[in-house]
Amino acid sequence: MNPFVSPLALTRRRFLQGAAPAGVSTLLQWSLRGALAAPASVLSGTEFALAIEEVPLTINGRQASATGVNGQVPAPILSWREGDTVSLAVTNRLSEPSSIHWHGVRTPAPMDGVPGLSFRSIMPGETFVYRFLVKQSGTYWYHSHSMFQEQTGLYGAIVIQPRSGYAQAFDRDYVVLLSDWSFEQPETIVSNLKFQSDYYNYGQRTLGTFVEDAQRRGLAETVADRLEWGSMRMSPTDILDVSGATYTYLLNGQPPGANWTALFRPGERVRLRFINGSSMSIFDVRIDGLPMTVVQADGNDIVPVTVDAFRISAAETYDVIVQPGPDRAYTIFAQSEDRTGYARGTLAPRAGMDAPIPSMDPRPMRTMTDMGMGGMEHGSMSGMNMDPGSMPGTEHSSRPGMSHGSMPGMQMDHGRMAAMKASPEAKQLQGSVGVDNVAMLPTERLNRAGEGFPPGRRVLTYADLRALKPGNDPRPPSHEITLHLTGNMERFIWGFDGKKFSESGPIELKRGDRVRFVLINDTMMEHPIHLHGLWSELENGHGEYRPYKHTINVKPGEKLSYLVTADAPGRWAYHCHLLYHMETGMFREVHVA
Amino acid sequence: MSAFQILAFAVAAFAADAAAQAPAMANDTASGTGLPPPSEMQPVMDRQIFTHAISNQLEGRANGSNTEFRWEGQGWAGTDYDELWIKSEGTVSNGAVDDGQQQFLYSRAVTTYFDLQGGLRSDIDSRPTRNWAALGIQGLAPYFFDLEVTGFVSGEGHLAAKLEASYDLLLTQRLILQPQVELNVYSKADPARLVGSGFSDIDTGLRLRYELSRKFIPYIGVVYEGKFGQTANFARATGERTGDVRFAFGVRLWF
Amino acid sequence: MITRLFRSLVMGLLPIALIACMNSPPTAVQSSAAVPLGIDLGGSGQVTASPSPRLPADAMTVKGEAASSEHGGGMQMAHAGHNDAHGTGTVNSVDPAKHKVNLSHQPIPEIGWPAMTMDFPVSLSVDLKAITPGTRVNFTIEQQPGGMYEIKAIAPAGGGR
Repeated sequence: MNPFVSPLALTRRRFLQGAAPAGVSTLLQWSLRGALAAPASVLSGTEFALAIEEVPLTINGRQASATGVNGQVPAPILSWREGDTVSLAVTNRLSEPSSIHWHGVRTPAPMDGVPGLSFRSIMPGETFVYRFLVKQSGTYWYHSHSMFQEQTGLYGAIVIQPRSGYAQAFDRDYVVLLSDWSFEQPETIVSNLKFQSDYYNYGQRTLGTFVEDAQRRGLAETVADRLEWGSMRMSPTDILDVSGATYTYLLNGQPPGANWTALFRPGERVRLRFINGSSMSIFDVRIDGLPMTVVQADGNDIVPVTVDAFRISAAETYDVIVQPGPDRAYTIFAQSEDRTGYARGTLAPRAGMDAPIPSMDPRPMRTMTDMGMGGMEHGSMSGMNMDPGSMPGTEHSSRPGMSHGSMPGMQMDHGRMAAMKASPEAKQLQGSVGVDNVAMLPTERLNRAGEGFPPGRRVLTYADLRALKPGNDPRPPSHEITLHLTGNMERFIWGFDGKKFSESGPIELKRGDRVRFVLINDTMMEHPIHLHGLWSELENGHGEYRPYKHTINVKPGEKLSYLVTADAPGRWAYHCHLLYHMETGMFREVHVA
Repeated sequence: MSAFQILAFAVAAFAADAAAQAPAMANDTASGTGLPPPSEMQPVMDRQIFTHAISNQLEGRANGSNTEFRWEGQGWAGTDYDELWIKSEGTVSNGAVDDGQQQFLYSRAVTTYFDLQGGLRSDIDSRPTRNWAALGIQGLAPYFFDLEVTGFVSGEGHLAAKLEASYDLLLTQRLILQPQVELNVYSKADPARLVGSGFSDIDTGLRLRYELSRKFIPYIGVVYEGKFGQTANFARATGERTGDVRFAFGVRLWF
Repeated sequence: MITRLFRSLVMGLLPIALIACMNSPPTAVQSSAAVPLGIDLGGSGQVTASPSPRLPADAMTVKGEAASSEHGGGMQMAHAGHNDAHGTGTVNSVDPAKHKVNLSHQPIPEIGWPAMTMDFPVSLSVDLKAITPGTRVNFTIEQQPGGMYEIKAIAPAGGGR
């Protein structure tokens, strides 16, 4: 089933040499298309022809019909050069409208690929020619912005070579595109979630976990904990809406068993461009035995940070450099945040080698901090012992029985909490159809990676991201825009400030504005918030060296802010990048006039 | 005002309300980029209509002497805010349909967890048909209790009420124990339907279901059908039992 | 008769339940000769000096070197455990098996903590024999990789109740 591909090591020198061939170069015969799960080929140059069409796909022996580009899922890797003007003729051979959005790439608004904001869509049979100047470098990706085509396979990587060279040297360079694949129709998935929002959650609290908790922490405390969550009609086991119950997690389009392999010679420095191209999944990535030096986030250089693991949310990218020394294989391990599955690849000196696949970590649980209860005093959250998953010596295995909210001795002063008056905006949100929770004490915790990491593992946090060069716009913001990320899990409605897209108007900015966006996550799930067209400069304590990001993952119950210079006119999409959240309302237009 | 007039009013209210929900945002201003404004295509379609139906009870009920068949199901179609609902229940016993209650409702989401529902109830079975106007709420109460409370008014001004509640206790990820209760109250006796005034009847059960898949779920259980007060008198007069414990087995389906 | 019905039904349901319980994993097809190989996009080539003339002189000095050395911001180690803080409090309970204590402690201004009652894991090198419930203690905590605070040192406070 899996094809043998001889790796042509296309060196950078060949790319930079003279004119790249106009058109398409592939590594697989077109006749093999459809019969095999083909790895992505690489297209380079300045003229591109992309055809969107239905592509037969085989995952673990099971066949399905996917949405591919040039016969492939994932779509081919596009290799551009900073400074070039690229021209991409995209032909839609589906029977429904389609589109392609260049995620993180700053293009003029009509080239941004969002139906209803940038253009009408690419109708069936049409060819739309995208044409824009590439003014940045780094790792990005592209995907459909029409209905659920991103879920059915229309995603691929973009690699833009820097005009004046890289900041760090490396010898090999691989794209690692993580995604999630389901054999169910995306429309069915949404319908299932609308009827039963925990449809895909097989890690719920049961009588069994109640008994275990009672044995460990006493009956009274366990009952109090269950009553606390029950009174809110919430479950701390809600991690991801769609799980491994239906998803197979893919690495460069390959399921774990296929053993996608990146070759290296011992001692070489290998650059891995991690892209989370999934629709609904957040991955925790690590390579056992190999620390990773993170050098870019969302395509932009950062001061290198060495970590053992990082959490990458939907649409984010991290470029890391590893330097495997010995002559052995390593497993690239990307487990979903809810521990219901993993994507996997291998770094090896020779094809056919593999390394042990680690077992998945215990499933994290939501805490009262995630519910926006603060946990303790507002503001003093740094370094708090808030991770039940990281208390050494506590048995967790994979039982979702631990609720942080009632850790022995962690006395939450509910009296004080009840006395807290809800802010006027919070009062307005509470009880409405689109809102099931309002964070009373959202916490600023960019220096925390999130729940689910065992102690002793160095995990990347947003506070670690320090830009390599200072920002372009030294002005402080002239005003602030505060938005609540809201949702109603029971009805599976998501939105901003309690409203779906169809119930709200655009956010208006004037060209040249310098504005601060403040996001407060009232929900108990992460939301990777993506602003098209403009950079989001995350305020993480590094002053003018704050990182430039295009997608910012807001943790449950978290409050964060970022600065935006509205330097590009147009109607820009602004939305949660979890596809089914976006499609059920978590979307806004940001209009820069 | 007849029940049918009430239903017509409810449907008209739904239509008017759905029309008023049309997006208010201006979609036709130019983007300022010099290009013609995009057409009516929306970037996200968050007002989709979803259709679902579920059989909460689709079961045979056996006691020592005979077996009845009982159904209780609900179906609905609509958007996040406005839905049209059908609820139906009844028991087939000794070849006759008894305890039939069908409701045709317009449902409006009003709070985070509750919908307000109004419309028509028709008691259609082997006994004389009765029609009522219905108004009630349905949703998820604190501590995860599913709750339906509905009040009814008949054309003659008689009142009735119905309470349904259930709770899902997860024994394992797929094995679920569900206590459930349905209670009916009537203001005036209806001898033709063997219904007395006051608390009339209770239908309660404890069902153990195994979720083979999320949508096909066989179950077994124990049910109790009880009649009170005047309803019990009617039952006794026709030789029926006033309290009946039965073993139930059935399947829960939904799409 | 009911029991007979019940029994036969349970016997009928059992095999269905067993089949559903068996979780057949997706077949992992793997032949060592035919693993899908990643496409190497090539090396970085010559690493040049800072691309942007606005840069401060000390950043971006890497020239073909490993990035782990002379960067303007220096190599950051995520959550290096060098944050010590000191506090006093009263022991509520000790769990020798899990080597942790529950303390009600005073505010710790060094890290901005208010007075709290909470569990602390204790470094395994610390002897907990002298630490009993009711004891007033002075303690030192250190932030671990991962963000947790662990007690490095703990001793009964002189005097006090």
